[in-house]
Amino acid sequence: MVRSRRSDGVPPAAAGRRASRTRSLGPGLRARVTLAFAIGALLLSTVMAGITYFVARQTFLSERQAAELRQSFANAALIQSALRSPTTEVTQLIESVDTLPGSRSVLHAGGQWYATSISVGQSAIPAAERTLVLGGTPATQRFTLDGSPQLVIGVPLPAVHAAYFEVFSLEEVAGTLRALAVTLAAAALVTTVAGAGVGRWVSGRALRPLAGVTDAAVAIADGDLDTRVEAGDDADLEELASAFNRMATNLQDRIEREARFTSDVSHELRSPLTTLTATVSVLESHRDQLAPPARSALDLLRADLQRFTRMVDDLLEISRFDAGSAELSLDEVDPVELVHRAVAATASVATDGRRGPVAFPVEVGPGVEGLRLRVDKRRVERIMANLVENADLYAGGVTRVLVERRPALTAAGGVVPPDALRVVVEDRGPGIPDPERTRIFERFYRGGRAGRRAASQGTGLGLSLVAEHVRLHGGRVWNEDAPGGGTRFIVELPFAPTGPTAASAPGAPGPAPVGRTVGGGGGAAAPRVRT
Amino acid sequence: MGRILIVEDDERIRSSMRLALEDEGHTVEDVDSGEEAVRRFSADPFELVLIDLMLPGMDGFETCRSLRRHSTVPVIMVTARSDTHDVVAGLEAGADDYVTKPFVAKELSARIRALLRRARSDGAGSGALTFGDVEIEPDAGVVRRDGEEVHCTRTEFRLLCELAGHPGKVLSREHLLEQVWGYDYFGDGRLVDVHVRRLRTKVEPDPASPRFILTVRGMGYKLAV
Repeated sequence: MVRSRRSDGVPPAAAGRRASRTRSLGPGLRARVTLAFAIGALLLSTVMAGITYFVARQTFLSERQAAELRQSFANAALIQSALRSPTTEVTQLIESVDTLPGSRSVLHAGGQWYATSISVGQSAIPAAERTLVLGGTPATQRFTLDGSPQLVIGVPLPAVHAAYFEVFSLEEVAGTLRALAVTLAAAALVTTVAGAGVGRWVSGRALRPLAGVTDAAVAIADGDLDTRVEAGDDADLEELASAFNRMATNLQDRIEREARFTSDVSHELRSPLTTLTATVSVLESHRDQLAPPARSALDLLRADLQRFTRMVDDLLEISRFDAGSAELSLDEVDPVELVHRAVAATASVATDGRRGPVAFPVEVGPGVEGLRLRVDKRRVERIMANLVENADLYAGGVTRVLVERRPALTAAGGVVPPDALRVVVEDRGPGIPDPERTRIFERFYRGGRAGRRAASQGTGLGLSLVAEHVRLHGGRVWNEDAPGGGTRFIVELPFAPTGPTAASAPGAPGPAPVGRTVGGGGGAAAPRVRT
Repeated sequence: MGRILIVEDDERIRSSMRLALEDEGHTVEDVDSGEEAVRRFSADPFELVLIDLMLPGMDGFETCRSLRRHSTVPVIMVTARSDTHDVVAGLEAGADDYVTKPFVAKELSARIRALLRRARSDGAGSGALTFGDVEIEPDAGVVRRDGEEVHCTRTEFRLLCELAGHPGKVLSREHLLEQVWGYDYFGDGRLVDVHVRRLRTKVEPDPASPRFILTVRGMGYKLAV
């Protein structure tokens, strides 16, 4: 029941976040809506601009052409009548023709070409036009001369064996059209951007309730099971909100039911355990009167009764953490004394009193002496007891316990002062392979190297409870190879407990091992040893 | 050693507790309900009472309050739950201490002896102590406020004497546990907190904003001078 809860050892919220981080995501809904709006606006405005441009162009050109045709024919008529008179000087005649600004006249009369402009002569007129007009057909043609658009109107004057051409520059019209095109393109661009903006705003507005649901889901994933979504007065949202809230309620019920079940079971087990403990203690005090086999039986009974009791206690403790009802009960204590007593009490229990007094010293780093710390005494005792027991069961016992200030750390924001207490427990075990370093903080996880003794004596919950107790203090726990073999567990408790922190989740990697040994000679103060 | 009354509805637990405590040298009687306990106690007072919190009918809290109306007998609550809520509620009901099931008989016996020793040694104190309108006569075991006698349990009385005996000095929870309950380092600080709260309701003009028994955050308690 408990085992299946967090089989991967990663808090659900963290797992979710991690998954979403590693998967490569396509563009979000909001981006897609924005893009769709932008494309729509772009298409629409382009089509509108195109139509506007072509209609305007057509109108401009045809108006201009009509005006020019009128003038050309008027001029042509004038020239024809002038040419009938034999005295007419053609050169003067062509100069006298009244033309619109920007237009040049070219006259073909008597096999000769006459032009008003040096630059626009016979050769400037396209050959096709010339042929057509000289052949007796009036014609107009648009062409480009030196990069600027021109219109040529040719009027044959068969009565006088001449042809009159007028070349109009369309540069002005082209300039107007260019300006129009630029304006329209700018308008299309603005419309597209505006479309994207509207799309973003609309999708943001439409997704705003979704953001609320997301926040709620994140809060629930982070353990705040009381979170609910407000539907407001939106009928469309109502359904989602009520479904979400129903889900959250069911989830909460289930978690609470499970935690309550664990809690109820461990409470119910306490009644028979009370009877057993009391009767075994009576038997214990009459041990001398028992026959040797009965004495051995009593020892077995007592040992397993202790283990059973611990298991029930641990299960209850775990159920409190699961139900979120675990609270710190802070007391100001001398941490060294607390650690010392907890270690001593555990050591004598763990060895059934056979080993006698504690076989290892508690070392005290500089700056710890006289320090007062606000901690939950009972929880710190459990932390120490579980670490010592863990060492006894799995790693051949504790070799060293050290209480010290955390060294000052250099972090991104500057130097972090040594504002935490470190308790280090080293053992003489074979060490922990890297893949198991964090896994051993999982419930009922026993490392591959755990001996048979451990399997038959531990509860399998000790280290996971250590992690939970430490987390409740806002501290951290991790393990690393001890110098000289074995493993060192490091518990870091902040001087000012601020409540659980996300960074201290079980299995959170600790900082790089600090290359410092207290009492290694270099330190200012040698550790004081308490035995 | 002492005459102890066990109030417990589970027959096997009752028998085993009785066996274990008798084995530790106490004289033990047991009853299976709160009503019966109150009846037995009024007929023939005991030196100490162990009350299980979860009793059918009159529950442990009610039984304790009922006994407290007429007696200052030391009471230990026996609870299957060590949750703050139950422990505090039990202490608020007037218990001097609590033990959590399953308990080790030797440990329970040690606590019983500590409470009994204190109960017997009460009255062997020093001269009268006063603060505000409160007057304490350790020898007579009497507390008067404005000349009127205040009804205190023995634990409350000892706590008051300890605080009044060191006016202006901050006394840590550990110190109070040692001096008042006779426990070592591993006592539960909540015992002190709840007893201080109860004491305030008896000697403070306004228990919500105490003038005499002050909390020194993170340190303990002190009697204002």
